[in-house]
Amino acid sequence: MSVSLEYGKLKRTGFYPAFVGGGLLAAAIPIANTALRQDVFTSVKESPFVVLMDANWQMMAMLNVFMIVIGACIVYHIEYADNALQKMEALPAKGESMFFSKCFVLAAASVFMIALETAALAFCVRCWFSPPEDFAAQLFSSMGFATALSVPAVILMMGISSACRNMWISLGIGVIGIFATVVIPPGSLILSMFPFTLPFQTFSGAGEGEAGELLLGALVEMAVFCAAELVYLRIRRNVQ
Amino acid sequence: MNLLTMVDIERRKIHRSKIIWILMIPIVILWIPMIINADVNFNMQAEGILPEDNFLVQGFLGLSWFMFPASLVIGTVLLNQTERSGNGILKMLSLPISPAKLCMAKFIVLLLLAAVQMIAMVVCYYLSAAAASSLEDYSFTLGPSDVLGLAGSVYLASIPMAAVFWMIAVCIRTPVFSVGIGLATIVPSVLVMNTKVWFAYPMCYAFRVVTGQMHKLAAHMGDFPCDLLPWIPAAVIITLVCLAVSCNQLGKAERRG
Repeated sequence: MSVSLEYGKLKRTGFYPAFVGGGLLAAAIPIANTALRQDVFTSVKESPFVVLMDANWQMMAMLNVFMIVIGACIVYHIEYADNALQKMEALPAKGESMFFSKCFVLAAASVFMIALETAALAFCVRCWFSPPEDFAAQLFSSMGFATALSVPAVILMMGISSACRNMWISLGIGVIGIFATVVIPPGSLILSMFPFTLPFQTFSGAGEGEAGELLLGALVEMAVFCAAELVYLRIRRNVQ
Repeated sequence: MNLLTMVDIERRKIHRSKIIWILMIPIVILWIPMIINADVNFNMQAEGILPEDNFLVQGFLGLSWFMFPASLVIGTVLLNQTERSGNGILKMLSLPISPAKLCMAKFIVLLLLAAVQMIAMVVCYYLSAAAASSLEDYSFTLGPSDVLGLAGSVYLASIPMAAVFWMIAVCIRTPVFSVGIGLATIVPSVLVMNTKVWFAYPMCYAFRVVTGQMHKLAAHMGDFPCDLLPWIPAAVIITLVCLAVSCNQLGKAERRG
């Protein structure tokens, strides 16, 4: 009930078309890149999927994180804009369930984006490379990895925008988060655990051992952010 | 009411918006790794660039590629949303002020916000240059003419971009799309910058100016000139068209309803 309610609220904000557009744009990156520079890519000896990810994933992940930030901003902006949040609080519904339903909608939208990107990558491999035997397994494990690593950013951004009444503040914090991942040179594992940096990691780039650690880190972050949001909502209810 | 008073009114409207923090924090985030990794600047001798020049240029590259344009987008969101919450725009439009003047006043405030960020950038540059100098025992500090010249040219080169973002924010009333388009246009600026028609894409001007300066300072990096023709006419035309469109469009939907 709650999820479908949140889904309905977003219908006229342009949220869904924006995610479709963002997904199509991100999906166009590998296709355009491979089509224009076919010889460069196909001549490399490595597994085609790894080549494609190395060449394109940074830009695709950037678009994914942009959409997560903008999506999270708009999802709570509609509650604050005309004091809708007060009406929601007057209903016999819990703020927590609203938060998790909103998270679910945003996560589903970003999974949809990643699914479009997966289809584009599969299309590239079919068209221009000779797919290796374990290709499907490779594709789904990597994209599943990417999906899991973007969930902490979703929860964190939703937490931020649930706390900020004004959209430019939550947008500003999100953009600063992305900027920090751009500026701070990549290196240690701890730095790549930063929630906005996690979606930029690739399964092949991380390697078996590190991938497990990153997944574990993402899981811990999700738990911490959820717990922090629950505490925050409780405090806000008591203070108001 | 003259334009100056209106700018002051617009400035007072965003007085309590905490936007200053959003502008300052990225500058600090930008310079801290630069101080810590200051020794990297000594490895750039192969390109023929002096360590102190490299320190300055790298900082400005980091700013002008992503954060400066993104700050302008955030600024447009701020200016639009303060007006739309509580239907402030309806009250402004009921006053005997021309909407075009209102639009220009808001655009000037957007430029003022960018100026504040640029000044913070220069101040933080001097602070971190001093810190890096004492850390590495080598003077990273450059004279004010170099620093202010670069900061000023980046700022001036960003004005057409600000006009484009302002037009997008005024014309597209759905925040998801106006912000999304604004941020999405930043991503390909690196690609467009290297093409022949770079002057037609205002989002890459600032980055191109800094890159050009880097190539000028580095002896072995070759030429990367920012030819003033046809750049300046193109930039002026883009700016004027964008401002004309946004002045024409501001408040139009409200007047119709």
